[in-house]
Amino acid sequence: MSNTVMTKKGKIADLRSRDEIKAERRKERTGVYLVVPGLLLLLLFFAVPVMVLLSMSLYARPEGASIGEFVPALEFRNYATVLGSYWPDLLRSFGFALIATVLALLIGYPMAYLVAVRLRQHGLLQGILLVLLIAPFFSSFILRTQAWKQILADEGFVAQTMKFLAILPADGHLTATPFAVVAGLTYNFLPFMVLPIYANLGRLDTRLLEASGDLYAGPMTSFFRVTLPLSAPGVFAGTLLTFIPAAGDYVNAALLGNNRNTTMIGQVIDSRFFKVIDYPGAAALSFVLMLSILVLVTIYIRRFGTKELM
Amino acid sequence: MNTNTAEPSIKQVDLPRSDGADLNLKGVTKRFAEFIAVKDLDLMVPSGTFFALLGPSGCGKSTTLRMIAGLEAPSEGQISIGGKDVTALPSHQREVNTVFQSYALFPHMTVLENVAFGLKRKKDKQAMEKARAGLEMVELAHLANRRPEQLSGGQQQRVALARALVNRPQVLLLDEPLGALDMKLRRQMQMELKSIQTEVGLTFIHVTHDQEEAMTMADVVAVMNEGRIEQMGAPRDLYELPKTAFVANFLGKSNLMRGTVTGERDGLLEVAASGHKIVVAVDRAVQHEGEIVVGVRPEKLHLNREAPAEATGYNELSGEVIDVSFTGTTTEYLIEVAGIGRIGTFAQNRGQQSAEVGETVYLSWDSAHSFGLAGDELVDAGVDKT
Repeated sequence: MSNTVMTKKGKIADLRSRDEIKAERRKERTGVYLVVPGLLLLLLFFAVPVMVLLSMSLYARPEGASIGEFVPALEFRNYATVLGSYWPDLLRSFGFALIATVLALLIGYPMAYLVAVRLRQHGLLQGILLVLLIAPFFSSFILRTQAWKQILADEGFVAQTMKFLAILPADGHLTATPFAVVAGLTYNFLPFMVLPIYANLGRLDTRLLEASGDLYAGPMTSFFRVTLPLSAPGVFAGTLLTFIPAAGDYVNAALLGNNRNTTMIGQVIDSRFFKVIDYPGAAALSFVLMLSILVLVTIYIRRFGTKELM
Repeated sequence: MNTNTAEPSIKQVDLPRSDGADLNLKGVTKRFAEFIAVKDLDLMVPSGTFFALLGPSGCGKSTTLRMIAGLEAPSEGQISIGGKDVTALPSHQREVNTVFQSYALFPHMTVLENVAFGLKRKKDKQAMEKARAGLEMVELAHLANRRPEQLSGGQQQRVALARALVNRPQVLLLDEPLGALDMKLRRQMQMELKSIQTEVGLTFIHVTHDQEEAMTMADVVAVMNEGRIEQMGAPRDLYELPKTAFVANFLGKSNLMRGTVTGERDGLLEVAASGHKIVVAVDRAVQHEGEIVVGVRPEKLHLNREAPAEATGYNELSGEVIDVSFTGTTTEYLIEVAGIGRIGTFAQNRGQQSAEVGETVYLSWDSAHSFGLAGDELVDAGVDKT
């Protein structure tokens, strides 16, 4: 409702009393104060580091400098150099992340649907399954990935069974393959896919499904015409939460990969930084990774984004 | 969208009259764990009928509707539509559409897409044209591209109605569709629904707890209570000659008096009720001997401030006025009759002086307006206690 009216002379008059105006201003100020700590934190731990990263990526190594010695410069060639050498790893990272995201969606959606919709009347079972879903977070990410290495090992039960069924050749491996890396990524980021979809489907009005059934839509049609479009915000959030960290991940590739055709960009940055001591190169790659994710996500949001997330 | 190009296509699609189909329920029972919602229900609704299932909440009327729609499976019994057994058919394969109490409009679709949903599922090539014609019928064509959330309750209700009607189902089910509307809108929609039903000629099954709504709209009303149909018939017949205390009290109001049959003369039963003699026609009583309950509708009573002359064929009682309330067109009275209890009546306000609290008044009514119920009936069954 507007607090102003046009007076006869055409002026805009404020209908609020002086006290009301004061109270409103005070409210506005309180809001600003509450945002300040968050803004400071972001400035200190995000904006400043990003600027440091950006400037570091442009540092140059002077002639005859010792290892790890760089001087401030505007060396844009750093970007060309790292992209020239590592573009396949960057592409592979996005490829792996994409496959893992699709797999996590295919596995995670039915899980979320089961817990959120099918078990709605069964509170206890729903609770137990939800805890099981979150349970992996109680143990370390590294440990869980290490465990996958055991599961997929040559003498492990999965590989043995697959060899027995002749799905895997007798001299084949599961570990140190792209398969293992994607499997690890899928597993590790699955909860990030399931939870947003679960939260969304928890609000699904099942009466709409009755209505769609009443209007001649079979179960499949009802799913694709009603349930899925309505849960789009959850799917959207889940895919972003899976894809972004998966694209930058290096633990899965390091533990489950073989360092030849499974290298992800995170691994390259790690080795540039800690092994090769090429700080500008690592910073440039980090920056490229950040920017590419930003661009991809922006395109994704533009294409599929829903009002709820904007 | 350009409305100019849409106009002619609306004119081309006329609304064909459909005769609907007979609906038949045989021995239908629905059990939920411990609770029996519907007990051994037999129901035959001829095609083209506007049929109302009336009853208080929890009487099983909505469950019955959901079983017809295929949203619940009956525990026992058989449902057939147009002579075809549909008991085992899932809802999407039944030629039945529902207007849900919650409207259940799809929030991610426009109004037009909502209305076209059923037609598209049936692969109707004219889905969009028919949907527009449907919106035209409920006078919402101008809102075709809005989202349901942008519509008022009454408009959403009409969209839900159009969404169901455009499919020309054999049976249209209405699950308290007017429940969420305010009184004025309700009355308006009642008229519209009735005229639409007359226009399209479909079989309508309307579930409601509003007796006035059921009586205004329906050709046939079935009063349901505790999973059973208490009585079924044309609204006037049900109202004038209720067969149970529940129907007498739920459908309008009734004064019920307990008494014992003392004799029968000229087709009239004489009933002694705490020293008063009341007469009821034999053919208007369900029980002819022993203890019975005699009832009369409040508007059938004449209120006299002086003792009227004895008149044959009239029942007479006298009592003390204990409450008077002015409602505008009428004045309502509550009269305490010794030995019988409280009797309610009202008088049109035609300028006469109203009786006062404490005054002794004389009540009389044509004995042809009495009705007799079984003696084991609870006189307050079906009374709205709120």
